Amino acid sequence: MTSSSDNANLFENLKLELRRGSLVLAVLGCLRSEQYGYTLRKALADRRTDIEEGTLYPLLRRLETQGLLRSEWREADKRNKRFYRLSPLGAEVLEKLLAEWKSIDSSLNEILKG
Amino acid sequence: MQPVDRYLKNISQLLPADRRDDILRELSDDIESEVEDKQSELDRPLTGAEQLELLKRRGTPLHVAAGYTQNKGVLAFGPQLIGPVLFPFYVRVLLFNIGLTLLVLGTVFAALSLSGQPVHTKEFFSNVLFQIFIQLTAVTVIFLLVEKHFSGQPHEWNKQDFEKTLHTAIEKRVKEKIYKKMREVSRFDSIAVFIATAVALVWMQSIWTQPFLIFGPAASQIALAPVWHRIYFPTVLILLATMFRASINIARPRWIRFRDVASTILDFAGLAILYTLLFAGTWIVPASPAAANPNSRHLFSVVNEWAFYGLWIAVAIHLAQTIKNLIRLYKNWRWGPTSQG
Repeated sequence: MTSSSDNANLFENLKLELRRGSLVLAVLGCLRSEQYGYTLRKALADRRTDIEEGTLYPLLRRLETQGLLRSEWREADKRNKRFYRLSPLGAEVLEKLLAEWKSIDSSLNEILKG
Repeated sequence: MQPVDRYLKNISQLLPADRRDDILRELSDDIESEVEDKQSELDRPLTGAEQLELLKRRGTPLHVAAGYTQNKGVLAFGPQLIGPVLFPFYVRVLLFNIGLTLLVLGTVFAALSLSGQPVHTKEFFSNVLFQIFIQLTAVTVIFLLVEKHFSGQPHEWNKQDFEKTLHTAIEKRVKEKIYKKMREVSRFDSIAVFIATAVALVWMQSIWTQPFLIFGPAASQIALAPVWHRIYFPTVLILLATMFRASINIARPRWIRFRDVASTILDFAGLAILYTLLFAGTWIVPASPAAANPNSRHLFSVVNEWAFYGLWIAVAIHLAQTIKNLIRLYKNWRWGPTSQG
């Protein structure tokens, strides 16, 4: 027998799993225009995609290592900031991922309509 | 050290060394951007409590650093005991300690076997298992304590002047420490030195009172030569001095010159001990007149020969370490005023 807190934990875990893949898509989508970490985090939050700093920055580094992003340190607002943007490979991958996303979305809609 | 300064410092100790500065620069900028943003939103400076909340929301240093660490496993029995940040260090220390123990026991048993002495598999495995159990327990407990330490938030976040501190600390951290490279003794390194030396001291004490821990079943036949008795007390003093040095640097990480000078003195003291050992000629003797029979002569000769080569390797490693520390002392001495912060 499971308690309500177990159910809540289960839901949270499933929600996290669901969000994990879509976060990459959201980050790549946002970085079609150049941004630095904090503005990117805000842009995502403004579109109801909250992401912790502890998740975002390691994710940005991973995507950069994979060649999907490029970054450079530049001065802005009297401070040095690290700006990220989509690389050509990132743009190509984003297009493919979006097509995949749309296909999943339409499949799910069909399934859920019953 | 101020709270934010310490927060970033604690994170920095847990980050991969090759990306440390870069990650810290970005984290510092993110904190500052968030503070500025919130201030312009509220049209007033943030209160100390608000800023404190901002840092707490970001999570403990261990939580933040874990995001940048490649997950190579954790130790968990139900709840997580040692997280992904410390786990690689834990495995490394454990493997080193167990490897060293196996090497020593293997040498003794191999020497026994080569000299034609009876070697019982049961005795060998019971010795090995006993050693592994001791090492596993000691190292695990120590790492649990370190994990607990880094999982806590810095205690002094409730200071009245927190708002002022935030900007000062970030400015100081970013401009002085990060751009010019952090010139402090890593607290994590000091803790590691303290732990390693404490384990070495306990191990040395144990084998001194219970020789079977190092010689296994051969303890009834072989004993340490007089030279070990001569170097015992100075070695204990060096180990205690190393622990003292590490404790001082845990409390005073900016005392770089103290670390450099103390380490160099201790390195030379260690070399003197190795010199005494190297030219002693005999390191293992019969435990009793009865053990000095012609049959066991070969055993002593094999063990002494291996000890000789082992000591030369130890001298080479220690010499390399001494030279490295001397170079570091020279460099830090030259750039002394800036390195002392």
